[in-house]
Amino acid sequence: MLNWIARDRVATLLLVTIAVLLAVGVAAPGFLAPSTASMIWSNGLVLMLIALGVFPVILTRNIDVSGGSVLGLSAVTLGLSLNAGIAMPIAIAMTLGAGLAAGAVNGVLVAVLGVPSIVATLGTLGLFRGVMLIATGGEWIEELPETLKALGAKSLGGLSVMGICTGLVIIAVWAFLRSRRGRWVMVVGDNRAAARHLGLPVKRIEFLAFVWGGGMAALAGVTFAAQIGFVPNQAGTGIELRAIAALVLGGISLLGGVGSVAGVVIGVIFFTSIDTALVFLKIPAYWNDLIGGAMLLTVLLIDGRLRIALEARDRAARYHRGDAQAPQPKKLEDAA
Amino acid sequence: MKKLVMRWEVLLLALLVIELIVFGMINPRFLRTSSLLYGTSDFVQVGIVAVPLTLVIIAGGIDVSFASTVGLCAITFGIANFFGLPLAASLAVGFGTGALAGVLNATIIRLTRLQPLVVTLGSLYLFSGAATVLSGVVGANGYEGIGGFPTAFTNLGYAQVFGVPMPLFVFLCFSAVLLVLLHMTRFGRLVFQVGQNEEAARHSGMPVARIQMWTYVLTGLAAALAGLLLSAYFGSARVDLGGATLLPAITAAVLGGASIYGGKGSVLGTIIATFVIGYLQQGLQMSGVPSQISSALSGALLVIVVAFRHGLALLSAFVPARSSQTN
Repeated sequence: MLNWIARDRVATLLLVTIAVLLAVGVAAPGFLAPSTASMIWSNGLVLMLIALGVFPVILTRNIDVSGGSVLGLSAVTLGLSLNAGIAMPIAIAMTLGAGLAAGAVNGVLVAVLGVPSIVATLGTLGLFRGVMLIATGGEWIEELPETLKALGAKSLGGLSVMGICTGLVIIAVWAFLRSRRGRWVMVVGDNRAAARHLGLPVKRIEFLAFVWGGGMAALAGVTFAAQIGFVPNQAGTGIELRAIAALVLGGISLLGGVGSVAGVVIGVIFFTSIDTALVFLKIPAYWNDLIGGAMLLTVLLIDGRLRIALEARDRAARYHRGDAQAPQPKKLEDAA
Repeated sequence: MKKLVMRWEVLLLALLVIELIVFGMINPRFLRTSSLLYGTSDFVQVGIVAVPLTLVIIAGGIDVSFASTVGLCAITFGIANFFGLPLAASLAVGFGTGALAGVLNATIIRLTRLQPLVVTLGSLYLFSGAATVLSGVVGANGYEGIGGFPTAFTNLGYAQVFGVPMPLFVFLCFSAVLLVLLHMTRFGRLVFQVGQNEEAARHSGMPVARIQMWTYVLTGLAAALAGLLLSAYFGSARVDLGGATLLPAITAAVLGGASIYGGKGSVLGTIIATFVIGYLQQGLQMSGVPSQISSALSGALLVIVVAFRHGLALLSAFVPARSSQTN
């Protein structure tokens, strides 16, 4: 049991989520309905897209904290171009272009110039937010066309167009990570030096991971604008930290190379379910941060202790067998 | 001589001087002693948290939770004051909260062996949530402030010491203490050693856990100091007092020369960087640049300066290799 909990983070988190949902269902009748599921999905879309964007970046042992500002920047690109009368498909293409370009800036800083990713993306977090505010002149963008809002409205079986898109993105990422090139992303994060010696284009992989992060943040910006119907100045602030928290909860290691798409999805759903459940339990919204933070720390604490206990047990078992002929390969922490 | 000129702090100081000259040319009022002195009250809280944060980063950690700790300490102080505790006791409550926050961070990091970024990210939410909920206790719902401080306290925010405004004076004293602590004591050497190579430090019997604990506790205490100063300055304790310090403080530490990988950094650099960032914001505002552009420019500044420094490091690693070949 202990083994299984510690080794399969995704399954544990899934069980915890189900337990939490059931408990809320007992406390607040009417919570356990299909409509709640569709609500949690649509509430979590923006966070999900940002998390899916940061995911490959973290797999390569970098980090991207500029997601919130890229979201804002691309939502503004979308809003301004739509309100200027540009057709929807072109406007969305421009938005994605803005996001990809922002991601490319991060990628150049980290992969080409060698700036530590946390520093580079902290800088661009301020930079992109500023560019966004310059573009809007500090004003909110309102009166977005109905055609855009329709993308965020629920249609087919409680799913919105953006909801379906996000589902497709999840499947695409899952399929990609199973492919030969997808494994490269993991390899770079697990052991950068080894990946280089294997002849992988390490810098290009890192660069593309950041570009992908920018693109996903742009998609999140489209979703945000479609769901809210306007673009406030602070659109997306703080969401990058929530996304990273959700990823960590889903078992994605910030040390790179470890993580699964299922972990991303369940981590995001866990966070969103808690927010949604609080609404159902009629707990004032200002409890959100306290409960979210306490849950995150508790999960981390339990998970961390379990992992340490398990490692100690494995080691004890190895010594017990007197298994000296196969020394455990030590991970090269300093190689990267 | 070359060593002195090429020191990072000297380059930063030159940057600061250039910045002051440029803004002085755009708007001569900027260079008046009074505006230079009193302008600092708007940004020294960034420096107050950035300096101990430098220690955390040097010791191989990172702390992002201080941004909420600032608000949390202000709120606990406000609550203690609300329930009629004497000023000294209320202040003790505020600082105690800060120290506890640091202990909590360090303990969880130690227990889980997780990356400090993850843990302090969790406590960033936890502390701001706790502050919001606590401020509800005394009826100040949501983001309203807790006021009603004794005038002896609120006067502190505007007091002068030797002609220097109180916040600046506190910042300079506090960073002087940390400067001595980091660069001239055994503790300081241990901080560097732990950051350079934690395993080596542990194997040579250094109290790694205790050193790291102290760096987080110092950051918590500094966050309390910043929270209390801001409460005195604004006359009310709010949950979101420290929210705006998160990025500038990390920027100041990194700009000041702290390596995010640990083992490198200097308090002096962080102090100068604080002024570079602070005066950049002020100068831009006084030159009539909207505040949104100034935030973009300070983000750009961080990226450019750090990229420049990495370029410089690459270059200096490259040049000796070539010259040794020709010799």
